[in-house]
Amino acid sequence: MTTRARRGDLAILILLAVWATPFFWQVRTSFTPDSELLRTTSPLPARPTLAHYQAVVERSVMPRALGNSLAVATITTLVALALGVPAAYGFARLPVPGKGVLLLAIVASTAFPQIATVSPLYLLLRALDLRDTWTALVLANTSFALPLLIWLIAGFIREIPIEVEEAAFLDGAGRLGALGRIVLPLIAPGVASAALLTFLASWNEFLFAFTFTATEASRTVPVALALFPGVFEIPWGDIAAASILASLPPIIIVVGLQRWLVHGLVGGALKE
Amino acid sequence: MTGRQRADRRAGIAFVAPAVVALAALALYPGLWVLWLSLQQRIPIFGISRFVGLEHFAFLVSDPRFWNAARVTVAFTVASVALELALGLIVALALWRQRAGRRVALSLLLLAWALPSVVTAKLFEWLYHPSAGLVNLLLGGRAFNWLGDPALALPALILADVWRTMPFVALLCYARLLTIPPEIYEAARVDGATRVAMLTSITLPLLRAILLVALLFRTLDALRAFDLMYVLTGGGPAGTTETLTVFAYRSLFQTLQLGFGSAISVAIFVVVMAIAAGYLRALRREGLTA
Amino acid sequence: MIARLAIALLAGLLALGGCAERPAAPGAVTLVFKHAKIFGPSDPIPGLLREFERRHPGVTVKSEPLTWTSDEQHQFYVINLEGATPTFDVLMLDLIWVPEFAQAGWLLDLSPWVTTAELAPHFPAAAAAASWRGRVWGLPWNMNVGVLYYRTDLLAKYGLTPPRTWEALVAQAMQIRAGERDSKLDGVLWQGKQYEGLVVNTLEHLWASGTSLIDERDRVLPDPVRAARALTFMRELLDRGVSPSWVTAGDEELTRRAFGDGHAVFLRSWPYAMDLFEAPDSPVRGRVGIAPLPGHRDGAEGVGATGGFHLAVNRRTRHAEAAVALIRFLASDEGERALTAPAVALYPTRVALYQEPAAVRAHPFMPAFHDLALRGRPRPVTPYYLMLSTTVQPEFSAALVGVKTPERALADARRRLEYMVSHLR
Repeated sequence: MTTRARRGDLAILILLAVWATPFFWQVRTSFTPDSELLRTTSPLPARPTLAHYQAVVERSVMPRALGNSLAVATITTLVALALGVPAAYGFARLPVPGKGVLLLAIVASTAFPQIATVSPLYLLLRALDLRDTWTALVLANTSFALPLLIWLIAGFIREIPIEVEEAAFLDGAGRLGALGRIVLPLIAPGVASAALLTFLASWNEFLFAFTFTATEASRTVPVALALFPGVFEIPWGDIAAASILASLPPIIIVVGLQRWLVHGLVGGALKE
Repeated sequence: MTGRQRADRRAGIAFVAPAVVALAALALYPGLWVLWLSLQQRIPIFGISRFVGLEHFAFLVSDPRFWNAARVTVAFTVASVALELALGLIVALALWRQRAGRRVALSLLLLAWALPSVVTAKLFEWLYHPSAGLVNLLLGGRAFNWLGDPALALPALILADVWRTMPFVALLCYARLLTIPPEIYEAARVDGATRVAMLTSITLPLLRAILLVALLFRTLDALRAFDLMYVLTGGGPAGTTETLTVFAYRSLFQTLQLGFGSAISVAIFVVVMAIAAGYLRALRREGLTA
Repeated sequence: MIARLAIALLAGLLALGGCAERPAAPGAVTLVFKHAKIFGPSDPIPGLLREFERRHPGVTVKSEPLTWTSDEQHQFYVINLEGATPTFDVLMLDLIWVPEFAQAGWLLDLSPWVTTAELAPHFPAAAAAASWRGRVWGLPWNMNVGVLYYRTDLLAKYGLTPPRTWEALVAQAMQIRAGERDSKLDGVLWQGKQYEGLVVNTLEHLWASGTSLIDERDRVLPDPVRAARALTFMRELLDRGVSPSWVTAGDEELTRRAFGDGHAVFLRSWPYAMDLFEAPDSPVRGRVGIAPLPGHRDGAEGVGATGGFHLAVNRRTRHAEAAVALIRFLASDEGERALTAPAVALYPTRVALYQEPAAVRAHPFMPAFHDLALRGRPRPVTPYYLMLSTTVQPEFSAALVGVKTPERALADARRRLEYMVSHLR
């Protein structure tokens, strides 16, 4: 590789690192003691401290919120998969009555603004007495995660040549068996990336969580962060520490599994 | 219909029904209900529940605050989407030409997109701090009041949003670029095409479809955006960052004026669906729909 | 196979949903007390709660702080009290919300336990806000009134006495700033951020101009000319640099800090700030005085807005007796006396406590606050107050920040208010 190309690569890496600077600044802030916070001059804190992380872990609702977020995101993903994978298969392969209209409705619902459904959902959840529960958030998150998931997975399924399944039918497999034993393994990477996107969307979701949660019993991470308490002034250091903790799962997912993500996009959304 | 076909039809319904029922209950039903709510004066606190027809809409049509929110929403959307697409495209092209360190580059890029929007809001709130924020420090210690000055708040918000969403556009374009067979470029090089010519005649046309898809997604998302402006500025100062969504949320949940707030939500709903329908028709003409 | 998995998942989901509920301990009573974070160096609440638990064996009180701005607290209460689950039993609420919550049916009617006569020992403004439609819904707990803080040393240096009008205040501020030649010394600080505090400040200027937001006949902004004059004056404080531009993002704490660091001549705030100014390490210790809020030259006398927090019980509580006992304890002589301890920056609502020697020793300004609280004026006592406030907040803010002229802002405010009020009849 020529030096010119190498320098080009380095330049791009540096530029992208600059783009990510806001994040790194927040990391720096989370280790900066309060005394230095409002008098920042150096890129690194003179006396790094773990005090903010300690405060967040020991004296804030973040640990509980992290647990809530994990539970809600996981359950949402499982529910969305349980409902969405069969539905995707049905739309992709089976003669569903009214398929055209249904698909259009499902695609249309991905465009629904959350602000439009939040007030009816609020009334509905109130009537069902589900306020401040994980169930409420799972239901709300499913409403926007499911359509996207169906659309993505239907795309993956359509990539599989029909002959593969035909072979299975000849061997006596039913539709369910074909789905489970033939199709799913083939689209596993796509399903995995769709599942991760669903988890991510649920973890990051704010509007519904802000409206439907009341106490730390069900409060998720974004809400806990938005309502982070301060006594006199805003505790920037503590908020930074809480932010980093809140971001670890999404970062691990996105960065660690970027290959799946790219694959999913290449495979699903682009083959239309 | 053969037995097999009948079995398939039954299977089809069985496979699809749970999801359809769930969506009907969680998306369609609320979607219709909000239309109904918008025609009512509904304030649970005071037990008010009255049909008022199109009164709320009539008021909104001549309400300066509504039109201000509409202007802010449009300005935000146009500026954000334009910047995201331009920057995302450039970054995708740069990434595509990267030889070594692609994984690191992609990781750095995706950091911004991975963060929850509330984290991003808090991040930028700190960056924009008048005395201790990094932005003012880098500008040589000038104490710009980014989030408190009515002229600066919206640009500050747009910057934060572009930071967060450009990686998604870049990712889409990058994924598409990966599917372009290198032979095309080989052939063009053999024919003596310059790099610029290859870019404009081969790469960009091939990216056109994905850019339209990105445009659609990002426009809809920007129109519906809520988290960032609600947490970062709360719609202030003086409504200069109050988008329609923030206006609607305030009306809905500060004082539970469910009817009035729903009317604003319906306005957003209609605009978003109209734009989505328009885009989809355009995409269909390009032969790209699901 | 997948269908079975799905059913198992949904069943598990519903079961897990129950995990988020509060487990009920058999026998023992746990009360949840929702309250705002107490500003100030010392927090009296834990001590009071432990004392209550001591006197009521078998009852534990769990204290849960609220978010720290009044509007957020209100939104929290609104969203949560509307729901049916009683996640808290006792609440500390801004007294402007009492009629609203009472009307909404969220508060336990305290009349079986507390007669209106029992409210007599409290300040009249506080007592008035505790009852609605002849029934008692809350117990007054702490008192607030808008006051003017000033730097005694700076005024003395220039031979000035506390100003009686805002116009005089501006003149004094400019004179002192010119004399001190300190570029970091601001004239007057006040709360101009877009929140309830802004409405309070604006109301005080409206009253000082001889008008109000809503008159006795429920007419909105009955005198737009005077109202515009008041709003224009506030805007001019910023235009002329008498107040720094960040005041439009300033709340109680930001302004208190700046004045407490010695960066301003005057401050409009609440009594709690005084204890912080008199703290041992305060840069302005011993150099702060309080005065009644000024009036306007062609208007009326200055008057501070009264406020404060009341205690109430969630109507859906499962432990009504214990909850009522808790609030009666907190609002009793003894409970409120704890608020007069040194370094507690809350002021009680019981008038007699302001004369007690121990209290006055701990807070030398108590007699002054007492007088100001008696002369204070409450904000409109109506269930719709919050709706009024949130409707006018953006308009006032727009006028202050210069996005709209005061006349236009008031016209828009009037139009929205009338639309709102028309639907409430």
